[in-house]
Amino acid sequence: MSTFRRLHVSNSKHRNAVVVASSRSAGQAPSMGKGGVPAEFRRYIAVGGARMDAELEESLGANYADKIIEGDPEIDFEFVGKFIEATQSVLLSSSGDPLFVAPQIVEVSFSPDGSETDRRVPIEVPATVNDSIPLRWTGRKMPKSEAVRKFAFRRSLQLQHVDGVTFDFLFDMAKELADENAMMLLGSGESGKDPLVMQINGSPYRGFLEGRVNVDDYILLLHLSSMELKRPAILVASDEEAS
Amino acid sequence: MARSIVVSLKGVESSFGFKAVDRNSLYGKRRRVPLDSSGGICTRASLLEDGSLLLRSGMTGQAYFLPDGTSLKQSELEAFDFDGSPLEKVPSTVGVSQELHGPVNAQDVLDLRVKTIYALLPEEVSSDLQTSVDAGDIYKFSFNYRDDYQAETGYLVSNDSGIYALIGDSVSYEWSKLELVTELPAVDQDEDDDLDFEMF
Repeated sequence: MSTFRRLHVSNSKHRNAVVVASSRSAGQAPSMGKGGVPAEFRRYIAVGGARMDAELEESLGANYADKIIEGDPEIDFEFVGKFIEATQSVLLSSSGDPLFVAPQIVEVSFSPDGSETDRRVPIEVPATVNDSIPLRWTGRKMPKSEAVRKFAFRRSLQLQHVDGVTFDFLFDMAKELADENAMMLLGSGESGKDPLVMQINGSPYRGFLEGRVNVDDYILLLHLSSMELKRPAILVASDEEAS
Repeated sequence: MARSIVVSLKGVESSFGFKAVDRNSLYGKRRRVPLDSSGGICTRASLLEDGSLLLRSGMTGQAYFLPDGTSLKQSELEAFDFDGSPLEKVPSTVGVSQELHGPVNAQDVLDLRVKTIYALLPEEVSSDLQTSVDAGDIYKFSFNYRDDYQAETGYLVSNDSGIYALIGDSVSYEWSKLELVTELPAVDQDEDDDLDFEMF
């Protein structure tokens, strides 16, 4: 299955057009079952109200093992085993009580080792991939063999034409890149150099355009990378220690 | 016992320890966190639709159930493909030597839907393999972290910082032809995403 979005992109001659970018979802996972009968994966209530460990300890004392063997006080017969259908998301305060006023939202930064480094009022990051400003060729070409060893590409979009004019537009782009066996770094924003942010507050990506041509047909792909292929500092440190 | 990725090139085995790498482990992360009036971090819970019970963390379970309500243990589960044919379980490849195929084209790597990236920690590496990957060669191998029904594809790549295994599923793209015109969507279909990443 594919999802489609609009993509405003320009070519090496700074001509621009809005085309379709599609991404394919992962293949269908196998169905599970027993003896040829399909099974359904479902959530159920495993513990009823006020029967968590701390609550049992409070009501029955610290050593309540014998009591749960004797009388099953940990089982809430009204709820346990029921399938969970629709639910509403609720925020709980730090003391575990439901929140009745809107919370304050902060943006917390964590370093690679997981420690908190900063708290601030959240800043809205606008999408840079939009209808008004096209993605531009930055002029920075990279051989495919170098790009796959330098960046980790975890998402790819296939660019497709919406009419005869955009067919020529995308075919020419694919051919230009295929002839050079290279990928072109795309930039966004007025400067044409900003990273690609697909939606508000989304992750910034490096976007590389890759083209393939087969006689009169083409494949034009926008490969997105949010990380370089390198080792985390903690691994580098242990590598150095080992050597 | 530490587990290893073991690969074989021209009959000579090499083995690597492995550590998953993601962008959080490279650049850190940012998260939007709700705070209560005392500045404490809020947690999420679920309220049953009829309001009868608040489900906190640890109060729910999940399992496969047959239509008659019988729950199935993991060991009882069988898998079927989309047309109902039973699937064989694919054993884990971790610690089991896998033949390297290649060198392959960089384009093959671009056709991989990457799910996991491992930084490889060399244990014993053949000189042929080391020389080859240092020169930029890329190799393909079969990978399956644990016994399951879907084997994955791995690519061994190297750069100045070390050797990596890119694990995922291969994707094939259809050629765009003049006569096959795609309709331009009116509204973008946004995907959820988190705000983090400091490489820029």
